[in-house]
Amino acid sequence: MIPVENYFVLSSLVFLCGLAGVMFRRNLIMVLMSIELMLNAVNIIFVAASRHLAQVDGQIMVLFVITVAACEAAVGLAMVIALFRRYGTVNTEFLRLLRG
Amino acid sequence: MGMNLGIDFSSLLQWNDFTVDLAAFAVKFAILVGGLLQLPPLLVWIERRVPALMQRRRGPNRVGIFKWRLYGLLQSLADTVKLIFKEEVVPDGAHKVFYHLAPVFCVFPAFLVACAIPYGPDLAIYGYKIPLSVVRMDVGFLFIFAISSLAVYGVALAGWASNNKYSLMGSLRASAQMISYEIPLGMSLIPIVLIYGTLDLGKIVEAQNSFFQWGVFTAPVSLLIFVICMFAETNRAPFDLAEAEGELVAGFHTEYNSAKFAAFFLGEYVSMFVLSCLASTVFFGGWQVPFVSYDALVTMLGSPNFVAPIGILMLLLKAAFFMWVYIWVRWTLPRFRYDQLMFLGWKFMLPIGLANVVVTAIVLAVLRFK
Amino acid sequence: MEALYFVPEMLFYVISGLILLSSIMVVAARNPVTSAIFLVVDLFFVAALYAQLDAHFTAAIQVLVYAGAIVVLFVFVIMILNLKPDALRGIRFSLGEALVLLITLAGFVIVGSELARTAPDLTTPGNLGSAAIEMAGGNTYVVAMRMFTAFLWPFEMASVLILLAIVACVMIAKKDKRVTKS
Repeated sequence: MIPVENYFVLSSLVFLCGLAGVMFRRNLIMVLMSIELMLNAVNIIFVAASRHLAQVDGQIMVLFVITVAACEAAVGLAMVIALFRRYGTVNTEFLRLLRG
Repeated sequence: MGMNLGIDFSSLLQWNDFTVDLAAFAVKFAILVGGLLQLPPLLVWIERRVPALMQRRRGPNRVGIFKWRLYGLLQSLADTVKLIFKEEVVPDGAHKVFYHLAPVFCVFPAFLVACAIPYGPDLAIYGYKIPLSVVRMDVGFLFIFAISSLAVYGVALAGWASNNKYSLMGSLRASAQMISYEIPLGMSLIPIVLIYGTLDLGKIVEAQNSFFQWGVFTAPVSLLIFVICMFAETNRAPFDLAEAEGELVAGFHTEYNSAKFAAFFLGEYVSMFVLSCLASTVFFGGWQVPFVSYDALVTMLGSPNFVAPIGILMLLLKAAFFMWVYIWVRWTLPRFRYDQLMFLGWKFMLPIGLANVVVTAIVLAVLRFK
Repeated sequence: MEALYFVPEMLFYVISGLILLSSIMVVAARNPVTSAIFLVVDLFFVAALYAQLDAHFTAAIQVLVYAGAIVVLFVFVIMILNLKPDALRGIRFSLGEALVLLITLAGFVIVGSELARTAPDLTTPGNLGSAAIEMAGGNTYVVAMRMFTAFLWPFEMASVLILLAIVACVMIAKKDKRVTKS
């Protein structure tokens, strides 16, 4: 069938897209979306590996990753709303209280 | 000069499993889309004449061709022609892409979901078994809920892309309502999955072979919850706050006119039909004839191919019953307020749905343990 | 179906091309809503990839939860906060960021080559071929059996986690209604 290296390359490329999004976007919500993209890339390789190694554990891991991604997105977005209420912006260049 | 790609295309030219599947899929899809597109004009006619008769008035009965009035059926034709030829006014600040894309997000999921429903028993043609759902999936249920949860994007984008505050508010409320009622909708069908032991809709219909195995007898609370959430999912009947005529102008589709407006209504009516089909499939035996099992029908009529039209007719009759209920309820019950609607969804439907799942699971465990 | 072996491969390349295109558009789009819609498209195609790998249950759950609920949440927040399109920051790498990207790339290359070197030659699908999954009761059955026997504790923990997340969201995003004593 399709060798697992193909899936690995695909997963790495999507992960790199997500990483680039986290590093180069100024909007906090865009950063959160790029994080979701990275988690998605990890899911791809989990499912491909589960098929490759003939075990179903990879797909169960995917279910847990989706669950955790949902919780993290929800809490992250709640924080974004709270930040927006407090500071009026979600631009990461203006939200720099923790920077030294 | 032919390129030798190492790919053997000649197998595409014979009748093997793959090509039969592909041809059957194409034919079924074409018939399904064609049939579903005939639905909205018919439904609009029913939706105007029947409540009129319920309310002791006449409804539209003037449009005719050469004195052939047909009880107002041609009014739908006139409306369709008007909607297609009306000038389309795009609001000034509307988003260039999403304004035009939003109706697609409403229509596309409805048609996709219609592909997963088994419309009849399997046909047997020349030794190939052809199922009468456009796609036969082993996770049919989940597919239906997954794709219908994509319809929320149509509503949300429509309001947002219209550059109109009231549209935005209407669309946010409508999409919040839709996602709130998705959960009890799915949860009411979990007991069905527990009872019949499969997610495949075709197998669920086959398991309802005798009359008292129908879903309405094995999971009545599920039926109640499902029917109520069915109304909320399609933004219809007492839950139509988002498109209420007097409240938010026309809600999320205020700024849409002519063909795109028709597209929203197409999506709504098709998803009404699809959910009605789903309710009849799961709770009322789908294409099964009451009191007559499938095998008895096959022996009566000789071959499974003759049972198929009867099955399709039965399913359409049952779906028509649910559509009737849709229209009947719309013109009978007053509208819910938004907070009442959310209260009903989260604090009433969800706990009942959960209790239903738990009770069903316990009962099944006891029954199967013996 | 052995004669039509090229169909799954072609399908894989088409789907992965579309996935990559959508991922790039997610990151490169200026409008947050455009990004969100491309994310939905991306997740949808990834679900198609899962379905091709015979992981039907995972594919349906991916569309249902990920594309149909999580990204809806993103879209809601974007619409409520009324975010305007913003331009990309411009490719001025700082030293740290360049290092991060290089190390990640290197990591992928190392792991990938290791994988290619030691992977067993599975030209036939093995234990989890389509027919074998059907025989075992379908993908849902196999996943459910494993989940509720070996992974029962993580499953229950996940439900506690979701509860925590719900409470945290409500607490964080609630408007402060304290009446200030003047």
